[in-house]
Amino acid sequence: MSSLLKILENEVQIAALAFMGLVYSVRLAWVFRFKIGRDRTLPAGSGRSGTGYSLMSIAMPWAMESTRKRPGRYVEFVVFHLGVAAAIAASFIIPYGPGLFETAWVRASFQALIAAAGFVGLVRLARRLTDPVLRAISSPDDYFSLALLIFWLAAGVLAAPNRPQAGEGPLAAFFGLTAFFLVYVPFSKISHYLYYPFTRIYLGRALGHRGAWPPAAAKAAGARPAGEDAA
Amino acid sequence: MRRRSNIPSGVVGAPLDLRTQDEAKRQGCPSVVDGRLRTYAPGDNAGRFVDILGHRVSRPLAVSLAACVHCGLCAESCHYFLARPDDPTMTPVWKADQIRKIFKRHVDWTGRVAPWWVKAGSPRDDEDLNRLKNIVFGACSACRRCTYNCPMGVDTALLVRFARGLLTELGIVPEGVFNVSRDEWETGNQMAVTETDYLETLEWMRDELRSELGTDAVDIPVDKPDCEILYTINPREIKFDPRSIAHAARIFHAAGVSWTLPKRGWDQTNFGLFSGDDKLGGFVARNVYEAADRLRARRIVISECGHGYRSTRWEGYNWAGCDQKLPTESVVVTLKRLLEEGRIAVDRGRNPEPVTFHDSCNIARSGDLVEQPREVLRRVCADFREMHPNRRENFCCTGGGGLLSMAEYRPLRLEAGRIKADQLRATGASVVCTMCHNCIDGLADVIKHYRLPMRVVQVLELVSKALVLPGQP
Ligand code: SF4
Ligand code: SF4
Repeated sequence: MSSLLKILENEVQIAALAFMGLVYSVRLAWVFRFKIGRDRTLPAGSGRSGTGYSLMSIAMPWAMESTRKRPGRYVEFVVFHLGVAAAIAASFIIPYGPGLFETAWVRASFQALIAAAGFVGLVRLARRLTDPVLRAISSPDDYFSLALLIFWLAAGVLAAPNRPQAGEGPLAAFFGLTAFFLVYVPFSKISHYLYYPFTRIYLGRALGHRGAWPPAAAKAAGARPAGEDAA
Repeated sequence: MRRRSNIPSGVVGAPLDLRTQDEAKRQGCPSVVDGRLRTYAPGDNAGRFVDILGHRVSRPLAVSLAACVHCGLCAESCHYFLARPDDPTMTPVWKADQIRKIFKRHVDWTGRVAPWWVKAGSPRDDEDLNRLKNIVFGACSACRRCTYNCPMGVDTALLVRFARGLLTELGIVPEGVFNVSRDEWETGNQMAVTETDYLETLEWMRDELRSELGTDAVDIPVDKPDCEILYTINPREIKFDPRSIAHAARIFHAAGVSWTLPKRGWDQTNFGLFSGDDKLGGFVARNVYEAADRLRARRIVISECGHGYRSTRWEGYNWAGCDQKLPTESVVVTLKRLLEEGRIAVDRGRNPEPVTFHDSCNIARSGDLVEQPREVLRRVCADFREMHPNRRENFCCTGGGGLLSMAEYRPLRLEAGRIKADQLRATGASVVCTMCHNCIDGLADVIKHYRLPMRVVQVLELVSKALVLPGQP
């Protein structure tokens, strides 16, 4: 392995990660700068249960009409995000635990998952380019982030065998893109996962407090039905 | 301000109508003079809009503005988009993006550095603000259906209300919104009902009830202290539907409930919810809470009204800045309790027609009541049937978000009503029951427009009809 690739797999990644962590810290401070009021009403349900339900809705495709009616989109979502998680894991496994990828089935599973995510990415990009509704709401960042992810996932599939002796191109591409990602992500829509807990917690807390979430709370055995304040 | 937009959705080009505002200024309306109600003034409104936005945005709003991934999954949850599937401007995300882009340009990061990259932008002039007005007031009933369908938890309806509030601050509002807000500020109720009209209507209903029941023991008390229930109503009941007050009085009499209406603070509706004006919201809600306090009532009961329930039970305490001390409930919950406790007897055979139930968005999605009305209806109707989807997935009656007061958006509203019409038709019911006065008018419009063989009623009416009174046939 060339020293350049070694630096790219280690020092560059660490520097990019540190940068990302720094920007995210500033970003979180920015979020907390905005004020949030206290709810002065008596609860009809539990803010905590509502929050739990809201956060768990990601794993309950039946809970939302939008995913219930389009199960294919939900499968895409799961595959895409699992593939991205696998590619992130690969970016650590290759430099710090290469032994894991020496087991053929482990490596193949990672490659399959990352490849599937790349394929979903292509489907999503095609949809974004051709569906007039998605086109109308898309920004350059939406296209660029998706295209970049597709390239990165493709590079991840090729890099997984971790054979620099057979040519350093795939590894250099994968780690080069990973470093670029780490720097770019906090400024792009890909950082949506940073906001996800916030949106979900605030919505869940508000609707939980009102007894609207979880939906079955009113029917729970022994529970006071929502909306019926004690005298 | 008369320039028309070339965006195809029609309503987006509706001009700003200033006739009522000009009239209010000429007349020297107190709320306009003292600045509680803002009127439009030419000038740097775009700059002021951006300024107020920056100061007002709360954390839940900021994250909802930042978190959208433009997946488009919310599109099909909106009745506007379902009615116009080829028009991207009808999607919740497109509507929210018209606010989001301003936030991105002025408050968020990337949008400030590279606006074109994330489609960030500023309103350039009053025409842009007028366009935004038409989107947030005219193409969204703030029903919150999209909120429930966003995987990210983006609360588009909250963003729409926020934008409405900013525009209200600049007087860039539909004429109807200005009108109703003025009435509420100046008379304490949104239909400018005078105290004389109010008291005379209550007396009229009391007298009718006395002759119907053949007893002077039945009453519609006003300002009676120390009652179990302070009953608050929608001004529409005084103006157009006083029978609904008589239904409540009949049931309370049968149950032996001690109750009263207040002389002041009787309007449980609240246009602040629709205009986004928290100050108006706080003023109206405080009137109700103060009435309960003054009369030492033990419970506030809200007559059947979706936004009134949401405002008085949920939002009003926060707008008014006072902690809730009294139980505050919908009259439907009261009815359910009276039935469960055996304080009233009913015969469901008196409501033999097939009845379906329409959930009000403000009660089901932004409130807490979905099972209670059903439990009541099952006791008082012989043939109760669900419409689909229902409960928190129900579609708006089309009249939510104050749209009934905005005549300029009526054609689009009725076009979007096709979804509701299909839903109603599929039930095969001849009666649709709803616990909301707004929904009564919204549904009646849809029924008329789509020629459905149905009529709209409220829960109180069906309970009153099913009520078995001792000694009465
Ligand atoms: S579903 Fe949510 S994240 Fe997706 S486009 Fe709509 S608002 Fe944005
Ligand atoms: S709140 Fe309702 S009307 Fe408004 S965009 Fe969302 S679904 Fe459509």
